[in-house]
Amino acid sequence: MEALERIIRTWVVSEREEEVVAAVSEISSGNATLLHLVKALGQYLTSEEDELRTKGVEFLSQVITRCPAEKFNRQSVRVLVAFYCGKLEDTETIIPALKGLVPLADLPPFTSTDAVEVMNGLVQHVKMKSLVQSQRFLVYKTIDALIAHNRDALKGMGREFLSGYISLAEGEKDPRNLLLAFAIDRVILLEFDVSAHIEDLFNITFCYFPITFRPPPDDPYGITTDDLKNALSGCLTATPLFGPLAIPLFLEKLTAGTPVTKRDTLEALDSCLPVYGPAVARNHARKLWNWLKLEIFQPTDSRTEEAALKTTQVLIQTIYSVVERETQTDEAEIQGLAKDACEECIQILREPEKSQAKPAIKVLCAFMSTTPPVARFTLARATPHLVRLFLDPDEAANRAPTLRLLADFVAAARDSMDPEVLPAEGEAPLAPYKDEVLGVLTAGLQVAGCAEPALDGLRGLATTRALLTDEELGFVVHCVNELLQREGAQGAEGADASDAALSLLTTIAASAPWHVAQTTLPLLLGALPDRAPPRGAQAERLGYWRTLASLARLCEQSDLFETLVVRLSTKLDLVCVPSAPGSGSEGQETDPDVEPSAAYAHSMLKTIVDVLVVKVDLGHADVMKYIDRLVPRLFNLFIYSALMSDGTYMVATDPRLVSVAAQIITLIVQTLPAQRQEVFVKTLCAGYLQGDITQLADGHQKIPSDKRFSPLDENASPLQKNLLALFSAGVVALHKEVKLLVHDETSFLKSLLQWAAKHADNVLQRDAVTHVLAAVINKRAGGLSAFLSETLGEFWTTEVSDLSVSSEKRRQAITMWAWMTKALLVRGDPLAMQNIDRLFTLFDDSEIGWDAARALGQVVSTDRILTKKNHAVIKILYAQRYCSAVLPRIIDGARSSDPRQQNAYLVALTSLIKAVPKSVYAHQMSTLMPLLLRGIYLPDDEIRAGVMDTLFAAAESSSKENSVLAEHASSLVSTMLRNSMVNDMPSVRVRIAALRFLAILPNTMRYDVLHPQKATVLRELAKVLDDPKRAVRKEAVEARTNWFKFTG
Amino acid sequence: MSSEVFNPNPTVFATARSNRGLPAHYKANSLWLDDGTHDIEEDDESNEVEVIDQDEIFELIRSISDPEHRSMTLEQLAVVSAPQITFDDKTPDRLTVEFTPTVPHCGMSTFIGLSIRVRLLRSLPQRYKVDIRVKPGSHQSEHAPVNKQLNDKERVAAALENPALLEVLEQCLSTVGQHPEPTAA
Repeated sequence: MEALERIIRTWVVSEREEEVVAAVSEISSGNATLLHLVKALGQYLTSEEDELRTKGVEFLSQVITRCPAEKFNRQSVRVLVAFYCGKLEDTETIIPALKGLVPLADLPPFTSTDAVEVMNGLVQHVKMKSLVQSQRFLVYKTIDALIAHNRDALKGMGREFLSGYISLAEGEKDPRNLLLAFAIDRVILLEFDVSAHIEDLFNITFCYFPITFRPPPDDPYGITTDDLKNALSGCLTATPLFGPLAIPLFLEKLTAGTPVTKRDTLEALDSCLPVYGPAVARNHARKLWNWLKLEIFQPTDSRTEEAALKTTQVLIQTIYSVVERETQTDEAEIQGLAKDACEECIQILREPEKSQAKPAIKVLCAFMSTTPPVARFTLARATPHLVRLFLDPDEAANRAPTLRLLADFVAAARDSMDPEVLPAEGEAPLAPYKDEVLGVLTAGLQVAGCAEPALDGLRGLATTRALLTDEELGFVVHCVNELLQREGAQGAEGADASDAALSLLTTIAASAPWHVAQTTLPLLLGALPDRAPPRGAQAERLGYWRTLASLARLCEQSDLFETLVVRLSTKLDLVCVPSAPGSGSEGQETDPDVEPSAAYAHSMLKTIVDVLVVKVDLGHADVMKYIDRLVPRLFNLFIYSALMSDGTYMVATDPRLVSVAAQIITLIVQTLPAQRQEVFVKTLCAGYLQGDITQLADGHQKIPSDKRFSPLDENASPLQKNLLALFSAGVVALHKEVKLLVHDETSFLKSLLQWAAKHADNVLQRDAVTHVLAAVINKRAGGLSAFLSETLGEFWTTEVSDLSVSSEKRRQAITMWAWMTKALLVRGDPLAMQNIDRLFTLFDDSEIGWDAARALGQVVSTDRILTKKNHAVIKILYAQRYCSAVLPRIIDGARSSDPRQQNAYLVALTSLIKAVPKSVYAHQMSTLMPLLLRGIYLPDDEIRAGVMDTLFAAAESSSKENSVLAEHASSLVSTMLRNSMVNDMPSVRVRIAALRFLAILPNTMRYDVLHPQKATVLRELAKVLDDPKRAVRKEAVEARTNWFKFTG
Repeated sequence: MSSEVFNPNPTVFATARSNRGLPAHYKANSLWLDDGTHDIEEDDESNEVEVIDQDEIFELIRSISDPEHRSMTLEQLAVVSAPQITFDDKTPDRLTVEFTPTVPHCGMSTFIGLSIRVRLLRSLPQRYKVDIRVKPGSHQSEHAPVNKQLNDKERVAAALENPALLEVLEQCLSTVGQHPEPTAA
C-alpha cells in the first residue's frame, strides 16, 4: 500500500512508464490489490485541481490496461465501471476514463448490466465532435467490445442503443475509426431490429459511398482503399431493408459519376441486388436496365461496359431467382424485364451488320448465364431468329455478320454450362436447336466471306460438352476438309480461313482424333508429291509448304503424329533415294538438279521438328517411342547416303538436311530416361567409334557391308564427317550420369579437340565436335581435371595465342574456347574464370582482339545446347556472378588510354550486355551509359545495332522522372538520327534499331528535357520517311507520330 | 464538336488481316525453309528500293478512329479501303485518297478527311501530293465545301490552329498503327 503511494507520487511528477510497470507488478505479485490502488489514488481521483484529477484517472487507466485479467473480479469490475461512468461526466477525466473502459469491457467479469451502464454513459456524456481521432477511436473500441461480449444486453436496450449509437457514429471521417465503425454497423444491421432506424442507419453508411479515400503516401496505418471498400460493402449488403433507399442512390451515382464511380456503383449493385431481393429489383428494373443499356450500347470504356453486362446478369438473376424455384418445368412464359430486354435486342439484331448488333448479342450472351428459364427463353428467341436471318434470301449480303453473332452466341451457350457437372447427352442448352445451327454453320462454310465466323461457330459447337454426336463431329470434319481443299486451291487468298479451319480441326483432334486421322490426314498427305517439284515450280513448292504447315498444326495428338511420322519418313526415303539401289546412274542422266529434292526433304524433316518442339514443350510421353521408330531410320538414311555417295550429290548428304535431322535426334533423346539413354549411347558409340552400324542405322536402305563408316578417321570423306552432327545431337541431350562408351573420357575428349582443330572441314563438323566437348565438360567436369588444365592449356598455347597460326584458325579456336568455358561457367566451376582471364590477354591482339572480346559475351549467352531440357548442369545466378566479376574489369578497361584496348573493351561490354538479362546490369546503368554511347560509334553494324537494342531496353524500363538517359538526351537524339539516314548508314538493321529507339524516347523522358530536340527530330525524320526499305519507313512513321504526339 | 449524332448505328465490316501469307520461316524466293539454326536473324540488308504502294498508304490510314464511333476504325466502317487509294500513272508522287462517309448527310466528313490529311502529312515523304476527296455520290455536299476544304493548304493549316479540334483529331489519330483483332468476339 505504501509502496503504491510512493509509486503514485513519483508518477504524478514524472509520468514515466516505469512507475506504471511497478504498480502493475505490485498488483500482479499480490502485494497489493486494485482496491488498494484506488484507495491510494484517492486524493487525486477526487482532487479539486483539474490537472491532478486527470492524472489520477489516467494512472488508474494505464495500470488497468496492463493488469493481468485474473486480477479482476466481479466486484472490482463493478466498482471500476461505476467509477468510470461517473468520470465520463467530468470533462477533465473523460479521456482517461475512456482509456480505462476499453480494457474493462473486454474482461470476463464485465456483465450485461455494466454494458448497459457504459453504453448509456457514452451516449449521455460523450460529445464526439469535441474529441480528436484517437479519442473517438477509444469510443468505437469500447462499443466494439460491448458488441462482441454483451450483444444481447445492447439488443435489450432497443431504440435507446440504436439512436444513441447513430448519434455517436454520425459524421465520422477518419479511415481508422471508419473501419471499426463499419464493422459495428454490419453487426447491428445483421442482428439488431433496425426497422425503425433504417433511414438513419442508411444515412450513416451510404453517405460514404462510393469510397473516394486515397491513402496518403507513407501512410503509417496502412489502410487501403480496398479495406474501406470491403468494410463498407459489408454494411451495404447487410440488410434487404436498405433496398428501397439504396437503389435510387445508386442510380443517381450512375448518372452523375465518373467512370470510376460508375464501376464502384456497378460492383456495389452486383453484391447488393441479391440481398435486396427480387421485389426491389423488379420495382427498379426498368430504370436500372435503361441505364445499363446506355453503358452497354454506348460504352464509355470497355471496363465499364463489362461491368454493366455483369450487373445486367445479376439483375436478371435476382428478379428471376424466385420464379426458378416456383416453376420447375418453366413452360410458363417469362415476363418482365428479361422478356422486354430480350425482345429489344432481337429487334436490334434484325440488322446484324450494324454496329449496335454487337452489344445486343453481348446482352443476350450475358442472359445465357443467368437462370436456366431465362437462358432457355433467350435461346428460344435468339437462335431461330439468327438461323432465319441466315436463310433469308433478302439478307444474303449479311450472312457473315449473322454467323459472327451466332458464333458468339453458341460460345456463350457453351460457357453457361456448369464446368463441375458432367452433362448427359442432350443436356446442353443448345441441344434443341442443334440441327438448325449445325446446318446453318456448315452451309456458311461454303459461302464466300463466311468461312471464318462459321468455323468459329463450329468450334463453339464442337467444344460444347454433350452436344455433338460422334457422327456429327465426323460431318463437321468432312465439311472442313472440303473447305481446306477449296481454300488450298485458291492459294494465298485462302490462308485466313485455312488457319481457322486448322485450329478447329486441331480442337476436334484433341478429343476425337479418329475423324481427323481417317479423313483429313489422308487428304493432306495425298496432296504431298512423291517427288520434289522442279526449281521453277514455285507455286507447287508453296503448295507443299502449306500442306506441311497444316500437317504440323494438326498432328500434335499422338495418333496423328504417328501417322505423320510413318508417312513422312516413307516419303523421305523416296525423295532421298529415288530409285532402287544399283540403278543410281539413271538419276544422273535425267536430272542433275537434286537441290529441289533436298529442299523438299528438308521441309519434311523441319515439319517433324516443328511438331516435336511443341510436343516436348507439352510433355507428351509418346515422343520417347520415336527413339525406336524414327531415329534408326534417320541414321540409316543419312549413313547410307554418305557411304554411297562417291563424289556424286545425294540428297541426304546435304549438310542442311543433316542439321535438321540432328534437331530431331536431340528432341527425342532429351525425353528419354537415363536407362534408355544408356542403351542408345551404346549403339551410338558402336556406330561412330567402332563402325558397327547394324543397330544404329536400322532401316530401309541396305547399307553395303564393304563400305566402312568411320567419320572420326582423319581421311574420312567430308560427307561422313558431316554426320558427326548426328552423333553430337545425341550426346548433348544425355543425362549427366550417362557416360560415353569410351575407355578413357579424358583421352577421348583430347582426341576430339585435336580433331576439331586439325581435321574439321567446315563449321558443321567443328560445331558438332565442340558441342560434344561442351556437353561432356559441363556434365562431368569433376573427372576431367587433367583435360581441363593440361590439355586446354596446351590448346591455348598452340591454337590461340600462337601468332604463327592463321588468324582464321585462331578465330575458330576462340569459338571452341568460348564453348568449353561456357560449359564450366554455367555449372559454376571456378576453372571458368581462368579461361576467361586468358581471353583478356588477347585484347591487344590486332588480329583477333575483338573476337576475344566478343567471346566474353558469348560465354554467358543463352544457347540451344547447354539447356535444362538437355540436362545440362546449370547453377542459378551464374550470369549474375559472372557479371559482377567481369563487368568492373571491363568498365575499367574501357576507360584505358590506349585506343585499341579501349575499343576491345567496348566490344566486350556490348557483347556481354547483350548476352545477359537486363536486371544483371540495371543498377550500373549510369556508369555504363557513357560507354554504351561510345559503342554506337564503333565501326561495326552488329555492335551498333546491339547497343541500340540495349539502350531501347533501358529506355523501356526507365521512368520519366528517373531516366538515366536524360542527361544524354541531345547526343542520343543526334546520334540516332544520323544512324537512321540511309545515306549515312547502309545497314537496314541499324537504321531500324535507331528509329525504334527514337520512337520510344518520348515515352521515357520528360517533355522539358526533350523539347529542344522536337523540331529537329520531326524535320530529320521527314527525310527518313523516304527510305528505300518499307520496314524502315514503318519505323520512321511510328517514331515521327510519337514525336508529334509529344507535348507538354 | 457538335453533339449531333449523324449515324447512331453504322454498318460494321470485316477487316482484312494485315499480315497475309505464310509464317515467318518461309522465304518467298528460296527453295529452302529457314531452319531456325541461325542465331542472328539474317535481315534483308540490301537497300533495293521498295516503292510506296497502295497497301502501304492504306496501312497508314486504316486504323484511324471514326470521330463518331471512337471504338471503331475507318476501315471497319468501310470509310476507307485500299482500292480507294489510287496513284497517278504519269507522276508517281501524286495520289488520290477517296473516302466514303457512312451516311450522305454526315457532318463529320470534313473532319474525317482532315484526319486522313494530317496522318498522311505526318507519314509520307514531302514529295508526295495527296488529293483527298469524298467518294462521288456518297455525300450531299461533295462538290462544294468538303473537297475544297480538304485540299486547301491554308484552310487545313487554319483548322489545325484550333486547339479543341486538334485535340479531337489527336484522339482519333491515337489509334493509328494499332490493329484491332479482326472480327473479335
